Amino acid sequence: MLNCNEVAERLYSYLDRELSPEEMAAVQRHLDACPPCRRWFVFEENMLRYVGECARRVRAPDELTERIRELRQS
Amino acid sequence: MTNEPQAPAGAVQLSEEAISHIDALYRMALRLTGNAPDAEDLVQETYLRAFRSLHQFRPGTNLRAWLFRILMNAFINEYRRQSRRPANTSLEDLDEFSLYHQMLESDFQPSVAQPEQEVLARLSEESVLEALDELPVEFRQVVLLADVEGFSYKEIAEVLRIPIGTVMSRLHRGRRRLQRLLAPCLCQSPSLCHGQ
Repeated sequence: MLNCNEVAERLYSYLDRELSPEEMAAVQRHLDACPPCRRWFVFEENMLRYVGECARRVRAPDELTERIRELRQS
Repeated sequence: MTNEPQAPAGAVQLSEEAISHIDALYRMALRLTGNAPDAEDLVQETYLRAFRSLHQFRPGTNLRAWLFRILMNAFINEYRRQSRRPANTSLEDLDEFSLYHQMLESDFQPSVAQPEQEVLARLSEESVLEALDELPVEFRQVVLLADVEGFSYKEIAEVLRIPIGTVMSRLHRGRRRLQRLLAPCLCQSPSLCHGQ
């Protein structure tokens, strides 16, 4: 069983789904058994999601898209 | 009927697919350049280069990652040296700041059962975007590619032509730095501002 420090080292690799299936399962087992780590991971996951949502609200101006379409035809 | 030369159907389809990624390319350009006119120029330059070398694109590979690579190259070549932003420094510090642990150690008294939810509710979209824009560009690139565009470590390594280990290190430090930059936004309780 991984301890809290070992799980902390894998925080982002776990949230980014970049660990091997075995390591993902090992981290998950720890989180299931350790409420403090679980709360921290949930916070970090929400944080990453929120940052992404804020930045993704930006859209390209329609005039730019039109310009790019004209560029393609030239 | 028209006598004008027609692009091959495959090329038209490919360029149309390329244009479908314009929102993603524009928001990246905006965060990199810091202003709309430069972002539009960067996106236009990206598509100019992409359309010019569309024949080099290998069908079946990742068009979106290919476009981002062109954008990053164009940014580095054309814009970064003229950027009006101050030079970013200090990539070396090992920033281990954690908003969550700062919150636990402070006398921050959340009014709801789930304090982590309250923390996020206090962060405005504007403050998040400002914090992103303040990150050193090397950190900003990887954070945006991962957290906004959802690229894998391997894809980011290919887009930026850096080793995967460097992607992981910059991502970790960039996310920590972002939390440090966001901490003042939560400072209703002064103790949350430790380390600022």
